Amino acid sequence: MSIVETVLIFAGIPAGITAVLAAGVFGRSAMHQPNRYRPGRPWTYAPAWYVPHPDAVPDSDSARAAIERSTKATAAVGGASGEW
Amino acid sequence: MSGEVQTTTGSQLRYGPVGSQRDGGPFTPRQLARLDEALTLSSKESGLTFSVYVGELKAPARGHAESLFERLTETSVLVAVSPGQRVLHIVTGPESAKRLPNRACALAALAMRASFSSGELSGGIVIGLRMLADAAGSA
Repeated sequence: MSIVETVLIFAGIPAGITAVLAAGVFGRSAMHQPNRYRPGRPWTYAPAWYVPHPDAVPDSDSARAAIERSTKATAAVGGASGEW
Repeated sequence: MSGEVQTTTGSQLRYGPVGSQRDGGPFTPRQLARLDEALTLSSKESGLTFSVYVGELKAPARGHAESLFERLTETSVLVAVSPGQRVLHIVTGPESAKRLPNRACALAALAMRASFSSGELSGGIVIGLRMLADAAGSA
């Protein structure tokens, strides 16, 4: 056997098998949730504010305008907090 | 938070700051669709305007969440989640607090914490929104 054949058989085949197994184990979850949150990891995404579909609530247009222009100051009354 | 409006899947409106917007948000399209559905259904059922803020809350976090809430209407409910700091705040206004007592908010916060601590970010937000909408009842 030449050196090339030896390397292909004893390094290439094990590397190929390892790659196939790794893709089978990790590939699916990586495709499904490429940016899954894990507690303790830093959060590098920009802040985002999600609002309901405009058809769902009558005043969502004004809510959207209020978020964008900050026209008034509605007092916060209650709520709850939590840490994890 | 001078808002740039982005339209993503499911006619979802998303507000984020201009400039530092990264390619690819924290949620997959399927998670965004679930979030959109939960937001829309909760708001429709209860008549309250739910909105979800996901991002850093500057210290003091409660004060930052309340200052975000100031821009909303009196019937709004803000769910502010900071995954990096591992804190969440639910803020109600003058009208929405009548429908949602602090006890109900605390219960929803508890359920959200349980999901978040197991890494379920979008799932926890959806569960919290449903619980808040159930507690508020129909308009």
